Amino acid sequence: MLAILFASGNESKLNELTIHRTTASLPFAGRYRLIDFALSSLVNSGITRIGILTRNNYSSLMDHIRMGRDWDLNRKNSGIAVFPPFGLNTSRDVYKGKIEALYTVLDFIEKAPEDYVVISNTNVATSIDLSEILDEHIANGADVTMLCHRAYATSSKRIIVTKNDKDIVTDLCQVEIPSVQEKLVSLNIYVIRKDLLIGWVEQAYARGYVDFEKDILFKEVVSNKIFAKEITQYAAIVDDVKTYFNESMKVLDNETRKELFDTGRKVYTKVKDSVPTIYGENAKVVNSLIADGCEINGTVENSILFRDVKIEEGAVVKNSIIMEHGIVMKGGQISYTITDKSVVVGANRQISGSDTYPIVIVKNKTV
Amino acid sequence: MQVKKECVAMLLAGGQGTRLGALTRKVAKPAVPFGGKYRIIDFTLSNTINSDIDTIGVLTQYQPFDLNQYIGNGQPWDLDRLEGGAFVLPPYQKAKSGEWYKGTANAIYQNIDFVDRYNAEYVLILSGDHIYKMDYSKMLAHHIEKGAACTIAVLNVPIEEASRFGIMNADSEGKIFEFEEKPKKPKSTKASMGIYIFTWAKLKEYLIADEADKSSHNDFGKNIIPNMLNAGEKMYTYDFKGYWKDVGTISSLWEANMEILDSQAGIDLSDTNWKIYARNTAEPPHFVGATGKVSRSVVSEGVVVEGEVVNSIISRGATIEEGAVIKDSIVMPNAVVKKGAVIKHSIIGWKAVIGENAQVGEYQEGVAPGEWEIAVIGPNVNLAAGSVVAKGAMIEEEN
Repeated sequence: MLAILFASGNESKLNELTIHRTTASLPFAGRYRLIDFALSSLVNSGITRIGILTRNNYSSLMDHIRMGRDWDLNRKNSGIAVFPPFGLNTSRDVYKGKIEALYTVLDFIEKAPEDYVVISNTNVATSIDLSEILDEHIANGADVTMLCHRAYATSSKRIIVTKNDKDIVTDLCQVEIPSVQEKLVSLNIYVIRKDLLIGWVEQAYARGYVDFEKDILFKEVVSNKIFAKEITQYAAIVDDVKTYFNESMKVLDNETRKELFDTGRKVYTKVKDSVPTIYGENAKVVNSLIADGCEINGTVENSILFRDVKIEEGAVVKNSIIMEHGIVMKGGQISYTITDKSVVVGANRQISGSDTYPIVIVKNKTV
Repeated sequence: MQVKKECVAMLLAGGQGTRLGALTRKVAKPAVPFGGKYRIIDFTLSNTINSDIDTIGVLTQYQPFDLNQYIGNGQPWDLDRLEGGAFVLPPYQKAKSGEWYKGTANAIYQNIDFVDRYNAEYVLILSGDHIYKMDYSKMLAHHIEKGAACTIAVLNVPIEEASRFGIMNADSEGKIFEFEEKPKKPKSTKASMGIYIFTWAKLKEYLIADEADKSSHNDFGKNIIPNMLNAGEKMYTYDFKGYWKDVGTISSLWEANMEILDSQAGIDLSDTNWKIYARNTAEPPHFVGATGKVSRSVVSEGVVVEGEVVNSIISRGATIEEGAVIKDSIVMPNAVVKKGAVIKHSIIGWKAVIGENAQVGEYQEGVAPGEWEIAVIGPNVNLAAGSVVAKGAMIEEEN
């Protein structure tokens, strides 16, 4: 099986967090970028031919992935291929949707020796064994196997799946409003036979279709050969600031961390050789996830600190996410706040958002 | 043709480190964990690459498997090179002979071909059991400037401690005229750090002559250096200033770890221009739970703290359960300290499991920190619940 990952998606809803980066390179869970979860699941499932389709602001992604060595993907055969946005000579813009994007890399897909393709968004954080899913896909004689989980649909972009007792998808729809009931929600990860995908994409492109889900999958439901595979372990879909915050906070839960990190499959990321974290005399840390390289001398509660963060004496950080190289100076107090990379919160400053509306402070800002 | 390397480093990593007892029963001393996420050898390897020396032979002999696996192709230290890089060099069978490394000099003698292969002009001899940061390229420049046959890095030690070291007596230019191994009445305070740069052609002569001498110990300190001095070779000291610690004993290993907590006294690991690299194990950030309490400590990745940690080093992947108390101690990688266990002035070996409510070590009031008796729980030991381990005791895995 080979893999195609979409590095972009929903950037507009992630506001300040994706000004400088793709959704794929959004920092998550203290030391990772979202794409690390997809890449690690692929590598752990024995999938090493991976194409990454970028759209915009992808320099942070290139910097993160480099040659793919940190995921053991610097291979002679296979490995990572990052595709910069490709504009066909016949069109003036870069691609509009997944169909066009896939069309630009059909060559890559066709030439690969693998018979199956997994297509995935990179805004999903989960640890799954895709080789098992491929086995089921083949045993079912499926055209497509789409991964789903039970969740509250919180965003208009979520696709709700209805399936019968044989796991055959009977209906797909996109919800417009948040639902109060748990639904079977698509993770936008699909396993497809390669020749089928190529055919679909060529035809859809010729007809000017844009949306892979609406213009291809929704229409193929009638074939009764789209299967839904429900996964039960933790899976985060990040598509706006609120889901980013909520899913991040879920990682503080022991069960969630077990399902993400304690599966016998490792989650790899770019190695930065930070020193271990140092706690000072006055450090007070409770229920928090702390990456390497931090210096903590203040209070941290229910929070996530990325690498090389400094919390000075008397500073209080509650229910917040502080990305790499952030500093909260003496007496600074923040709660329900997401500070992007290298944000400095000055001495005695107070910032507080609310759980339903966390404040985001843009990269490199000093408050 | 082989690409020429001006200087090749040879790292002597074959020693057992008997004084570390249970910690070096199954691994060589350089492979012993240090500072939460490192191994002792990381410091020398990182110094080497940071000094722009990219060809390094690591001479292993005692329990080499762990070290071989750790070094691998040298990638974590940026030592996976097209030409050069890191090589693990165990003793091997040759056409006419095959033997263990008899001594430090013999280990290099047996690998003359390795150094020759890179056409090296200079060879840097290192040992893998010290914690320090040093720019060897400056020492090499000094060696070349002096036109020396051998340059020995020295550290100024307090005169009262000088008799524990090999002492170099040199003139005001740094030219060595006498070498005394552990002198009763030291004449100088310049202690050898066991770091040598030799002009390779010269060293090769002496290695070959030394090998022919059946009475020789084949050792740098005992044979090669004195022989060169007696022959009137130009030998110079190179003054090193900065943190340097031999971690050959339980108490010095414990102390060097603890010194990290003191930003003034210990090794500064946070200098981004001189990073210390280690093989990464891809663990998640550490987690301090609702009942966790950490102060004045170093905590590494993958750790879960639900208990209390004071003045300690908690290494990657370790678990400190609720109600457990760790004070003035080192918990090595992947060790588990179960509920209610109390650890004081101790080293807990990697993958050891300390049973519930066990007590390990004691707080030693009124005793100077250097004199503390450190309890050691060896790697992989399963300490039964409720056990009591006295101060200074060493518990080892059976068999």
